[in-house]
Formats: sequence, C-alpha cells, structure tokens
Amino acid sequence: MADSTAPKLKAEALFDLMKLHLATEAGKETAKKVGYVYQLNIAPKKIGFDEQIYIIDLKKGEIIKGPTEGVKPDATFSFTDDDFIKIATGKMNPQIAFLRGAIKLKGSLAAAQKFTPDIFPKVSKL
Amino acid sequence: MAMRDLVTGGAACAVPGATSSSNPLGALANALVGSSSKTQERLKEIPTTPGTSGSVFPDFGQQVGLPGSELDQQQFLPPSARGSEFLNQFRAVDHGGFNDAWDDIHRPQGRESVRFQEFDNIYNEGVGSQHQPILDGPPQRVLSHFLHSFVESSRSGVPLHPTPLPVLGLSEGDKRCIRDRSGIMARHIFADKSEDFINAQVNALLSSLDIDNDLRMKGPSRFQELDEYWNESQGAMNRAALPSDRWVSEFQQQRPVVDPNAWAHAFEQQHGANGWASEFEQEQNQMSLMNPMGAANAPNLAAMEQTRMLAETMSRNNDPKFQNSKFLQFVSKMSRGELIMDDNQVKSAPGDWASEFEQQHDVGGAWANQFARNEASVGPDGWANQFSAELGEHELGGDQWVNEFSKLNVQDWADEYSNQVENGVFEDNAADNWAHAYDEFLNEQAAFKQDASRGVYVFSDMNPYVGHPNPLKEGQELFRKGLLSEAVLALEAEVLKNQDNAEGWRLLGIAHAENDDDQQAIAAMMRAQEADPGNLEVLLALGVSHTNELEQAAALKYLYSWLSNHPKYRELAFQEPSNSLHYADVTNLFNEAAKLAPDDADVHIVLGVLYNLSREFDKAIEAFETALKLRPRDYSLWNKLGATQANSVHSADAILAYQQALDLKPNYVRAWANMGISYANQGLYEESIRYYVRALAMNPKADNAWQYLRISLSNSSRTDMLKACSDRNLDLLQKEFPL
Repeated sequence: MADSTAPKLKAEALFDLMKLHLATEAGKETAKKVGYVYQLNIAPKKIGFDEQIYIIDLKKGEIIKGPTEGVKPDATFSFTDDDFIKIATGKMNPQIAFLRGAIKLKGSLAAAQKFTPDIFPKVSKL
Repeated sequence: MAMRDLVTGGAACAVPGATSSSNPLGALANALVGSSSKTQERLKEIPTTPGTSGSVFPDFGQQVGLPGSELDQQQFLPPSARGSEFLNQFRAVDHGGFNDAWDDIHRPQGRESVRFQEFDNIYNEGVGSQHQPILDGPPQRVLSHFLHSFVESSRSGVPLHPTPLPVLGLSEGDKRCIRDRSGIMARHIFADKSEDFINAQVNALLSSLDIDNDLRMKGPSRFQELDEYWNESQGAMNRAALPSDRWVSEFQQQRPVVDPNAWAHAFEQQHGANGWASEFEQEQNQMSLMNPMGAANAPNLAAMEQTRMLAETMSRNNDPKFQNSKFLQFVSKMSRGELIMDDNQVKSAPGDWASEFEQQHDVGGAWANQFARNEASVGPDGWANQFSAELGEHELGGDQWVNEFSKLNVQDWADEYSNQVENGVFEDNAADNWAHAYDEFLNEQAAFKQDASRGVYVFSDMNPYVGHPNPLKEGQELFRKGLLSEAVLALEAEVLKNQDNAEGWRLLGIAHAENDDDQQAIAAMMRAQEADPGNLEVLLALGVSHTNELEQAAALKYLYSWLSNHPKYRELAFQEPSNSLHYADVTNLFNEAAKLAPDDADVHIVLGVLYNLSREFDKAIEAFETALKLRPRDYSLWNKLGATQANSVHSADAILAYQQALDLKPNYVRAWANMGISYANQGLYEESIRYYVRALAMNPKADNAWQYLRISLSNSSRTDMLKACSDRNLDLLQKEFPL
C-alpha cells in the first residue's frame, strides 16, 4: 500500500490477492477457462466519477493498473467499488446488477457472461 | 336512510320537484329512460360493455357507458355542482342524454345531496367519500376530480369514457408524469380486470386529458414501444399459459407488500381518502416549478428501457425452460414499470411512487435536499449528478429532460445484445445463467436487507433468553462451551436489558466474528465502543473486522486507536490528533511498541493485522507466528495465521493452521468457512463444499458461506444442489456432503 491518505479502493485490495492467485495452478486454470480481457472502471462512489481503470487480462493471467495503451478489452465494466466487491464475492448477481443500472457494460456479451465471482479468489477472514 | 327506502320510497324520501315523488330510484330510472327520446334510441344500441362487475348497480354502469355519447355533449359543467360523487361520476363518464335526466331530478338543488349521500356510501362500498368533487373552478380541482373518477371507476367496473375537459394547461412534464403513472396505477387498481379494460380506461383518461397523441408525436417513441411491448408480452404470456398472477403472488410472498391494494390503503392512511388525486394536485404545484419526479425517476426509466429490450431479446429464446423462467417474467415486469429496482430493493411501482411522494412532500420547501437524497438512493448515475447541477441553475423543461434521458445510451447496448444473441455467441447454458439469476436475486435480497442496515445491529426475532434472570452469565457460559449461536441469543437478551453493557456487546461482537458474520460483529462492537470508548479488545476487534471487509481506512483508524488508548503505548502516539492517518506512520509506531515490549502478544497481533492491510503477508505471518509463541492456545490467533497464509496463497500451510484452531475450538465457524475457502481457492470445489456446509450447519446465518457454497456448487458440477442451496435446505446438504 502506498503511503497515501487517498481513499483506498476495496477493489485494489482484492486485485492484490488476485495477482497472487493468478500465479497458482488453480488461478491459471480459472484464467484459461475464461480467457477474456476485461477492463474495469471502478468508481469510489459514483459511476463515472474518479474512476480507476484496471485491466484484468485472463489471456495472460495478469492485472494491470490502467489506463493502458494497446490493450483492447473484450468487455468493459463500470461500477462502484462497493458493487464491484459485491459482485466479485458472490453477494450480487452481475445480471441483476446490470438491470439495476449498477453495471455499465460495453463490449462482447459472451465475455461479459463469463465475468462471474468464479474468477476472483475468495478472501479468507482473520 | 336504508336502501329499501330508496327503492320503495319512504316518508323520508320525498323528492321535491321530481316526477315520481315516492321512489327515488324509480325516478332516476324513469328519468334516465324516459326523459329523452334521444337517450332511448341510444339505449337500444348499447353493445354489451365488457368488464363490468362488482358494482352494486351494474346495469347503471352499462347504461352510463354509452359509446359515443360524449360526442354530443353540450354542457356538463353546471355551476357549483356540489352533488354527490355518485352522480358526478355519471356526469364525468356520460355527457349525453343522461345529463338531461340528471337535470330533471337535480334542478331543485340541495336536498338531493343529502338524499344521495347514502347512495354514495353504497356505491363506494363503504369506502366513503370525503372529498367534494367539483368539475369547474381552477384547473387543478377539475383534474383532481377527474382523476378521482378514474380511481372510482375501478370500484364499480364502470368504464371511463373520454371526457372533454376544460383546458387544464398541463405542461409536457405533467402529462408525461400522468401518463407514466396512470398506466402503472391502472394495472394495480384494476388488477382484477381484463387487459382490454385497463387499456380502455387508461386511454380514456389520457385522451380526455389530451395527453396521448401529444406525447406520441412530440416525445420519444419509448412509450409507444413500451405499450407495444406490453401487449406483445401479454400475448406471449398467454401463449405460454403462464398466468402472471401466479408469479405475482409468488413474488409477493417474498416481498413485504402482500396486498395488491396495499399501496392504496397505505397511501390513504397517509394522505386521507383523497389520496392520489390530491397528491396529484400537489405534485402539479411542484411541477410548475420544476420536474423533480422525472428527475428522480430517470434511472428507473433507464432500467425499464434496458429491461424492456432485454426481455424482448430473451423472449426470442425458444428454450421452454427459459420461457417459463421466473426470471424472464421478472424482467418483463420490470420492463413494464410494474417493478422498480431502487437501491437494491425491488418495489412494486406504485408503492415506490407513494414513498417518493412522501419524501417529496414531507419536508415541504427543502426540495433541493430531497432531490439530493433521491439522487443518492437511486444510485450511481453520472447523469443524475449532472441533472441536479443543472436543476440548481435553471428550470428544466420536459423536452430537455427527454434529451437527457436519451443520453443514457441504453440503446447501444441493447442493439449489441440483440446482434450478438442472433449471431449465436451464447453457449447453450446462457439461458440457464439468466434463469438462475432470478433465484440468486432472491438470495441477494436477503443479503441486501442486512446491507441496508449496515452498522445497525439486527436482533433475532425469537429469543428464548429474553426474561432470563442473568443472560450475560448464561451467554458467557454458552460462549465458553462453544455454542456460538446460542450465546448470541443470550447476549442479545443481555444488551436488550442493559443497552450500555459494553461487555455484553463486546462478547456479542466476538461471538458474531467467530460465527463468520462480520457485519453483525461490527455493529455489536460499535455499540460496545460507544459504551466503553477505550476498550482495547473492542478496538482491535473493530480493526480486524474492517480489515476483513476490505475497509482499509476504517481498519487503520481503529488499530491506531488501540495504540493511542493503550496505557503502555499511549505516549508513542502522535502528539497532534491526526484526521488523516498514514499507513506507514502507524506501522512504525507499532514496530516501536514491539521493541518496547517484545513479549506483548497483542502488539504483534495488531502488527499482523496491519501487514494484512498492506498485503505484506510475509511480515504479517511473521508477526502472528511471534504472537503464537507467546500465546499458543489462542485459537483466533491460529485462524489469523491461517487466513494470512491463505490470502498469500500458502493454502497447504493455512489448512494446518486452521486445523490447530479447530482442535482448540471445534465450533469455530469462521475457521470451518476459511477451510472451505482454502480448498475452493485451490480449485478443490468438492472439498470446499463439505466445509462450507459444516460451517453453515453451525451457523445458518453465515451469509458469506452461503454465497461461497453457491459458487463451489456451480463449479463442481453439482448444480443439482443449487436449489437446496437457495432453499437453505441444510438437512439435504449435510446428507449429500458429509464431512
């Protein structure tokens, strides 16, 4: 964690865990099954405001803090930090989130359909 | 006056000036049938009027609904017509020959209003009419009355016919609002009527108000599409022999709103029987200033638009399983605006409307604040923000609003969706995904309920320990025995009795944390902290729980408070109170403290948590291992070590650490759930299921474990057990997945 008082995204914590996870056998397996590149625009409070961009590249099995040149995502999601965490931990169904307007989506729907809690590691509780 | 008197004509029934003085009903009928030959001719031509039922006077209802009679309406607004609602109702819907008849019996004004009062009561089936309808006067009164007629017509089943009203001067925004609302309203208040009837009613209302055509020409095509879709979907549903009622009732079992009329009742309780119409009036006043309703609704409309197109695409899927899915019906309902997603809660639309009204009217002038609140509740929409900014500056006309709406760009996505579906990009199980989504959605509702009350402790409904002479002692005893869920109940009884008992709240928080429920743990610990702000155990527990929830700033705050409240390390704390804590500074303080007192396990524990926050897992593991040397029988410490190892993908080590914790405390739900997580993260889903189920058997309220169980089930080709998971059928799950 950088020495900063800027509000930290929960997503950032999860991505740090996910980076480790993608290096494991199980993580690689999951990435291979999905095989898409996602761009996530994650906003602290409101979609479209102060968004942080992350690229989850499940072709290469890596996560890059964006914005990046030359990466063409299969699907781009915009959501708030809280909603993203709910989706990633299985507390919120992505389809429902979309209907609620909690997700904005661009790109391939086939790719979007594979954006499920399965691709994220589960966080163990202290 | 009794009904009998009206028919037979009692002494109290004298009708001054009427043709038949002894029988008021007869007089009315005579007047109706006999007073005008024009009327008689017309009566012969009456086609059967569909959908009349439940009226005390169904025949009158049919006669009143003279088709085309409104065309030769000459005069239907007598000055100060303070007559009964019943007869005004007739006036509102029929302006032909009946008016002549009415005038015959009505001319000597005054007594009739008394006489027909009872008529009214009968007509209204006991609802009573407290309002005084007036058809002339200021436009708002006319509108109010007219809308009343609309609502009233639901009670009698009398079709409402297009009515020429005086120029009301409705703005585009007003019209749009009325149109949106009346369509939705009608489907609720006429729930027992046929679709044709409902459409006729709405059309009559709208064309009377000169709304329909206007909007269809000027407005975007969405309303028309919406209507078409509605009709289409009705057809589709009939074909599939799917009575939407079945779904409705099923859905309502899940939702608090059970009575389809609940909206009307609730609204009347709050606003008096004038309810809708008078609110409409008020709203009009507001809308003449701005268009807050439209603004607040925009995200809902966007969602409607999205779902409409989604439902359309989905309905093209021929898979019967999919066609019959509740989810498709759910989406259809949403697309028709009958259900609204609002801040994670589904509401049936009129209920939402009513609450919206409340929000908007309760505070009166402070409209801007209201809007801000609405905006917050309708979710993260950049557009809403922009809109509120604009609203602050100038009035937004309806057309502008429409333009703003179209900026939401839902079309793009829907087009793409359709294209892709038609190109067959979906795999075979795509329909399943959507179908399952509905079940998952219901689960989410349960989870969101908790989420909505974040930070607020939620007590159990039934608590056998309430009334126990010493629930704290009982709770401590149960906790020691490892009966966590029982201990929770006893401790809840304690804090219900002694709300400021810090120890009661603290142990309750610990019990929840061990039961793998961090939300409740945080809520309880916050109460404990209120009662005892400097309690070190409480501060540490809050730091840990917030770390688990990935709430890093809050976690850092509590961990620092632990140090600044500690008698031994207090002097290390910053001299000036700092609002913005720097992670590295806090870590440095704790490292100093550890040098000061290397044998204090607590310092190492806090350090371990801090390093978890920064994802410096190696240092965190080191800190916890140091602490464990000092306190080897601390089961929660073993679990902390295990969780840290698991998060740093040392899953095999983690499982050993959890095993240590479980040896010391066999009912440690958190450790069981963590075991499941470790297996799942290694891709060993079958194994993970057994541990999740074990954890859930001990605490069925551990929502995280339910969600993880679902993920593991769908990844382990055990989708057959997904239903047991959504039903929370633990017996079946335990039988299927013994440990």
